[in-house]
Amino acid sequence: MSLTVIKGLQSEIFVPITPPPVWAPVTKPLSEMIVGLATAAGVHRKDDKRFNLAGDFGWRQVDSDSKPEELMVSHGGYDNSDVNKDINCMFPYERLKELAEEGFIKGVAEHNVGFMGGGGNIQKFTDETGPEIAEFFKEQGVDAVLMTAG
Amino acid sequence: MQRAIEAVGIPTVIVAALPPVVRQAGTPRAVAPLVPMGANAGAPHDIEMQTAICRDSLKQLEILESPGKIVPLPYEYHAAI
Repeated sequence: MSLTVIKGLQSEIFVPITPPPVWAPVTKPLSEMIVGLATAAGVHRKDDKRFNLAGDFGWRQVDSDSKPEELMVSHGGYDNSDVNKDINCMFPYERLKELAEEGFIKGVAEHNVGFMGGGGNIQKFTDETGPEIAEFFKEQGVDAVLMTAG
Repeated sequence: MQRAIEAVGIPTVIVAALPPVVRQAGTPRAVAPLVPMGANAGAPHDIEMQTAICRDSLKQLEILESPGKIVPLPYEYHAAI
């Protein structure tokens, strides 16, 4: 007996679909890795353009030699009070630099990435922003990327 | 975003405050300390916690062997709101 009563019938209820897995294999130990940092928390330099809080699929370069007081957050989707006190809450680049100094990782990428997640034009994020950021890290020869938000 | 970076061959790990969200989005590697969105890497100025979260997150790169795992991390911070 077939369980299908009417062929091609689709549920009216939206069912989110988890995309197929992606997996980049790890090929070297952490002590030999240059680690990049990417955050969806809306981190950028104070002298850079703020994100549009209503939705923004752009991204900003954040260099590892920036001082914490040169960085800020513009993101309308979460409580910014902790990250305003300490940018490392969402962008722990000072912690990564310390881990590099002690030899746990080989180094921190010179140039890192902030963008504003939690909404916006998802198609643009998937088709344009994501591949751009991926290429940005690849060109730097980054071996792994630590991400926050989500 | 994480998926796009993995797609070019760079392994990633995300520190997630909202594990169900990253699971639904198809994360390859994630860790989940008990933190609020806004302090994923630990409490403000708590260098010890932030370092531990970064270190344990990166360690998972060497440990995890298959995509889709979300590893709980034993750190807890509640923002005073």
